[in-house]
Amino acid sequence: MTFPIEADFSESVFLTNDDCEQTMTPQAQHPYDVVIVGSGIAGAVLAKTLTQAGKTVLMLEAGLEAGMALDPELAYQNYQRYLQTFYSKANKATNGPYPDIKDAESPDVLEIQAKTPYDTGYLVQMGPLPFASDCLRAAGGTTLHWLGNVPRMLPNDFRMKTLYGQGVDWPLSYDDLMPYYAMAENEIGVSGDVDAQVGPDMGRANYGAHYVFPMQKIPQSFQDQVWMKHTQNLSVSLDGIRYEIQCVSMPQGRNSVPNPLYHLGNVEWNEAEKKLVLPVVKSPYQVVASIWSPYTGERCEGNASCVPICPVQAKYNAFKTLKKSDFGKLEIRTQAVASELMIAPDGKEIAGIVYKKYVQGDAPQYHTEVARGKIYVLAASALENAKLLLASNVANSSDQVGRNLMDHLVLLTWGLFPEKVFPYRGPGCTTYIPTFRDGEFRKDFAAWISPLDNWGWSWPTFAPATDVSNALAKNIFGKKLRQTINDLVTRQALLHFECEQTPEPENRMTIDPKYKDQLDNYRPVIHYDASAYMRKSFKAAKQVSDQIFAANKIQDFTEYNPAEPDFVNWEGRGYTFRGAGHIVGTHRMGNDPATSVVKPSQQTWDHPNLYLVGCGNMPTLGTSNPTLTMTALSFMAAENILQQLG
Amino acid sequence: MTTVQSQLDESAHDQELFIYISVYLTGFERVELEGTGLVEEYFRTICQETSNETRRYFFDELDSMVLQAQGKEEKMLVLIASNLMPTSSYQGLAKNIIYMWYTGQWAPTVNNPDANLQQVRNISGNAYQQGLMWLAAQTHPPGAKQPGYGSWAHMPLQD
Repeated sequence: MTFPIEADFSESVFLTNDDCEQTMTPQAQHPYDVVIVGSGIAGAVLAKTLTQAGKTVLMLEAGLEAGMALDPELAYQNYQRYLQTFYSKANKATNGPYPDIKDAESPDVLEIQAKTPYDTGYLVQMGPLPFASDCLRAAGGTTLHWLGNVPRMLPNDFRMKTLYGQGVDWPLSYDDLMPYYAMAENEIGVSGDVDAQVGPDMGRANYGAHYVFPMQKIPQSFQDQVWMKHTQNLSVSLDGIRYEIQCVSMPQGRNSVPNPLYHLGNVEWNEAEKKLVLPVVKSPYQVVASIWSPYTGERCEGNASCVPICPVQAKYNAFKTLKKSDFGKLEIRTQAVASELMIAPDGKEIAGIVYKKYVQGDAPQYHTEVARGKIYVLAASALENAKLLLASNVANSSDQVGRNLMDHLVLLTWGLFPEKVFPYRGPGCTTYIPTFRDGEFRKDFAAWISPLDNWGWSWPTFAPATDVSNALAKNIFGKKLRQTINDLVTRQALLHFECEQTPEPENRMTIDPKYKDQLDNYRPVIHYDASAYMRKSFKAAKQVSDQIFAANKIQDFTEYNPAEPDFVNWEGRGYTFRGAGHIVGTHRMGNDPATSVVKPSQQTWDHPNLYLVGCGNMPTLGTSNPTLTMTALSFMAAENILQQLG
Repeated sequence: MTTVQSQLDESAHDQELFIYISVYLTGFERVELEGTGLVEEYFRTICQETSNETRRYFFDELDSMVLQAQGKEEKMLVLIASNLMPTSSYQGLAKNIIYMWYTGQWAPTVNNPDANLQQVRNISGNAYQQGLMWLAAQTHPPGAKQPGYGSWAHMPLQD
C-alpha cells in the first residue's frame, strides 16, 4: 500500500482482525535514524554497531516482552523458565524450551509430516517434500537454540557458477568478506584452532598470517579421539577417485579459555575513514559470560544440551551483543509484529513499517502502529523477511523474493563402535571432516561437511529412551537391563553429512490470503524439493560413510524408513534427509537487479532506504553453518548504512 | 474395618515394596534409587496412573513373591520374569515402573507401541534430570548435572 510520507498514525484502541482500522495521529518525522525488525544476531549486530556509532535505533521484536529481559535479575528469571520448560517437556525439540505464541508463530520441526500438502503447522507445506527446518521467533532469535558451530565458508564457495557450473557466483569474494569474518568471530567469541583448519580450499591463507581465534579450541571429545584413530588420513574411494579423510577441530561460538595471542578489541566505527575497524588492543580477550552474571557461563561446562538450550549461556546468543548497545540511543518495542512496509508516493522510499502490537501472545487483540526512520533494516529471518516483502509488494522487481530457499540437507548414518566411546558428553560437535567441502565433484553432486556427532543416536532414533523401551519389549530387566543400556549407548556412533543445497527458483516461499495467522499476518507457504544434484550426494555420502564405518569396524544400523518425512529415492535406493536449521537464500544478493533482491551492500535494488540482512541474502550456502557468514555480512551492512547516513 | 491408620500403614507398606522391587527391576541399588529423591513422587505417580484394583493385585503379588523368594536373588529374578514382566501382567505396570526410573517419563507407549505419543510425559523436570538411563550409559542428562569443562575429552570414571 502507498501512504503519504508525512502522514503517521497509531492506534489507541485495541482491535481484532474484524474491526481493524487505522487512525492518524501526528508524530515527528523520522524520529529514528534506523528501524530494525528482529532482535536475533543480525539485528543485534546492527543495533550495537549503529548505536555505538551515535545513531538512534528503533528495534521491533515480534516475540514476548518477557523474552527481552536484559536486566540481570529478570533475564535470569526468564531464562530459568526456558530451562524448566526444557526439563519438563518429553520431547526435546529445537524450539521446545521457548514460547510458541499464536500472534508470532514459529516453525517447529515437530510439525513436519511425510505427506504433503498440509497446513497443520505454521508453515503451509505444499511439497512435494516438506521443508524440514525451523527457526525461532522470539527475542534473541534462533541463537537461543543454535548449536554454535562457526566454520568459515571457503573461497571457492563464492564462485560456484564459474568453477563448477552450479548455482550462482556471489557478488563478493572471500577476500572481500575476510575482515568482516574477523569481526564476526570477535563478536560471537569463537573458540578454535586456526592452524587446524586444513582441508580442500582451506588453510592458514584463509585467515591471514598471524590470525588466531579469541579463545582456544574446545577440547575434542574422547569419542572424537577414537574416531580419529582409524579415520585420520584414511583413503576412501568415490567414483574411482581417492580422497584422504581429515578430521579437524570445529570452531565454536561457546566460551573456552582466552587465547593470550588474541589482541583485537570491540568493533568500532572509524568516523575519519568511514569504515568499521577491529582495533588492536593490549588487554587480553574478555570472555562474555551469561547475560545475568559475569560469573556464570564463562566457560562451557559440558551440559551437552547446546541445542536447544545452554543452561549457563556459555554458548553465544544475540543478547550478548544487544547488551553492548548504547541504550541511550536504542528503543526496543516487543510484541510488535511487523506486518507491512509502507512506500512513499515516489514509489522508491520506504515511508514506515506497520506493526501490530499484541497484548498477550495467544490473544487476538492488537493495535496497529507505525515505525518510522531514515533507513529500514529487515533482520527477521530468511522466512519472515521474505514474507514481509511479499506482503508489502516491495523490493521484488526481480521476482526473486521468496525464491532459492535453501538448507543443508542432512543425511545421518549411525552404527555401533566395537568398543565404548562414551557419547552424550560435551558440545554437539567438536570435530568435523572437511574432505568433501570442495572438489571437482561439485559439478556433479553437492559438497558436504561431516560433523562427528557427540550425542549418540539421539537425533535419528531418540535414543537412549528408545533403547530402554526396545529392551523392555524383550522383557529385559534388572542388572541385565543396566548392562544392556551401558553396552549399547556407550558405543553409539553418529556421522552426519550436511549437503549444500543449490539455489532453485522453484524452491520457494510464497504467500496466499488463504493462509494467515490470527493477527491477519501471512503464514509462509513453502514449495520444496530435493534435486537430482542433492540426491546424488546422498548416495555418495553413504558410500563414504560405509568406508569410514568399515575402517572403524562400526556395525551399521542406519535405516531410512519410507514412511518418514523427506524420504527420497535415488537410483533404486532410499534416503531420508533432515533439516539443518540453515534457512537461507530467500532474498539473495547479486550484481544484477534483474536476478537479485539486494546489492552487494545489502541495500535493496528497489528502495534506497531499505536494507535486508540475515541468511536470506546468501546467494549460495557453501558447507558452513551459515550464522558466522551472516554475522560477517551484518557488520558489512552496518558499515554501509553508517556510510549512507553520513 | 478400614481405618485411616490402616490405610496409611498399607500405603507405607506398598511404598516400601515399591522400592524393594524397583531395585530388582532396574538393576540399581537402593541407595541409588533413594538418591534420586523421587521415591515418593514415583510412588504417587503409580497410584495416579493405575486403578486401585490393578495396584492391589500388583502389590499382593509382590508380597507373595517376597515370601516365596525368602531373600534369594535368583529366585526373585525368576519370579519377576514370569509374574511381572509379561505385558499381560497388571497392565504392564512393571515395565512402566522401569521406564519411569530410567527416563523420568510415564509412557503408555511402553506397553502399547500404538499408543498416542502425545501421552508420553515427563513426570517432572526433576524426574527428567534423575533418569537412570544416563547413569547406565556413564553420562549425564543433557542440560543437567554437567560434568565440567573439558571432561568430555577423557574416558569417564569407571564403575
